Amino acid sequence: MTMPRPYGAPRDTRGARRPGVTRRHALHLFGGMSLLAAAGCRADADDPAPAVDGLVGDSSSPTALTPGVAVPVQPGVLPTGGPTIAPARLAIPAMSLNARVEPVGIDARTGDFAVPPSVDRVGWYRYGPGLEATAGSIVIAGHVDSATQGKGAFFGLRDLDEDDPVTVWDARGGSAAFRVVAVEQYRKTRIPLDRYFARDGAPRLTLITCGGPFDKATRHYRDNIVVTATRS
Amino acid sequence: MRSLNIHRILALGAVAAAVTATAGLATATPAYAATSKVSVVHGIPATPVDVYVNGKVTLKDFKPGDVAGPLDLPEGSYDLDLTKPGEPIDKAILSVDGAKVPGGANISIVAHLDAAGTPKITPFVNDVSKVGAGKARLIVRHTAAAPAVDVRAGGTPVFKGLTNPDEAKADLPAGTVSADVVLAGTTTVAIPATDVDLKEGTATIVYATGSAEGKNLGVVAQVITGLHSAPGGVPSGDGGLADESGMSAWWLAAAAAALLLAVGGGVRMATRRTTR
Repeated sequence: MTMPRPYGAPRDTRGARRPGVTRRHALHLFGGMSLLAAAGCRADADDPAPAVDGLVGDSSSPTALTPGVAVPVQPGVLPTGGPTIAPARLAIPAMSLNARVEPVGIDARTGDFAVPPSVDRVGWYRYGPGLEATAGSIVIAGHVDSATQGKGAFFGLRDLDEDDPVTVWDARGGSAAFRVVAVEQYRKTRIPLDRYFARDGAPRLTLITCGGPFDKATRHYRDNIVVTATRS
Repeated sequence: MRSLNIHRILALGAVAAAVTATAGLATATPAYAATSKVSVVHGIPATPVDVYVNGKVTLKDFKPGDVAGPLDLPEGSYDLDLTKPGEPIDKAILSVDGAKVPGGANISIVAHLDAAGTPKITPFVNDVSKVGAGKARLIVRHTAAAPAVDVRAGGTPVFKGLTNPDEAKADLPAGTVSADVVLAGTTTVAIPATDVDLKEGTATIVYATGSAEGKNLGVVAQVITGLHSAPGGVPSGDGGLADESGMSAWWLAAAAAALLLAVGGGVRMATRRTTR
């Protein structure tokens, strides 16, 4: 809590569907007074931004017991692989980024997201939705940096702004266009990962990397940076 | 505890009734919930049925191999009858009366053959606890007129000595497994190998159905989604190049400068793009 930072903090009241405020906004768009206001408003966005709140589904709502609704019946056939469309490239012009996307899963040793070791590549969480998604969060994570390789693909992620375009391509050249709606920062101990790895709610793209203060002893960043984008 | 709404809910009532009639499910009922998610599985070969709930037809011509539901069934008391399609309820081939239905469980009601080949109804409480990130749950239920079996994955027995009407389960790495069923302790194949796609964050329930003697052994599958967990974390940097420690002073200075500029004449500090 030593260093107030404006970006990532949900500046608006909860419930209003406005994006989180980014640092660039504070500096460039609103001038000094806004900067002070934003900087004083919060350190860590340990509550999700309203813009993200509006995208998250209510997974607790079951099938309604509506009179007259027939019981669904389906053949009890063995499941087959779904039509998942894996992202292959990710482009973010505001970061001058055009990175290869690898399908990744879980690090069996740690239970963590298996971010690609090569810092110029980013990883798509292959267990969650792909580009075919009509609901849920498509998650791509990448390194902010590495002790041995220097700056990573997502080094500039924290500086993204509302409305910055993001494009994701599949291996066949099909693309999906998104725009940033929120940039948030959480302590890793408090980030609500369930909502960013949700399989329900509005279809959205979630980009994650590390940020915040760096502990030189453990070589860990304290925080995660989370960018949420919706289809444009 | 009867509800008019219930009469309109097809298989729900049937399911629930069967549940409490044949098994004590109270332990599966959290105190906070008043409804159960209920599915009905038809595992009796060559015997389509009509399902009556509290005396009213709610599922017509329910076919072998089909799965009905899931729907939310309020806890309550129900009568359930299965008839051959079009036949009156007094000619029911299976009946359960006045059964209490608890709330808060995820239940599959299975019409199937017992080990000797007689039709019966067995309720199963489904394990819908979360699976770990990257994992999927496989549940195998012996609901066939057949002796004890082993279930093999990739040729290796994973569930051994399973008998009707028991189940075996495990949380496995998500992905496709080639599974078959053999007579217990042998390599005599009862149900040939088939690929099963265990999708991450789901429970795939495979029912062995039919009759060995009737040479119509087979499987019926039911998938329950939404059991996924998020990864433990997203470690994505160990270089320190993006370190933001000790920036308080910088921010204060920047804020002060900005304030002065703003007061001094509303000077725009910079355009958005030129500062990249």
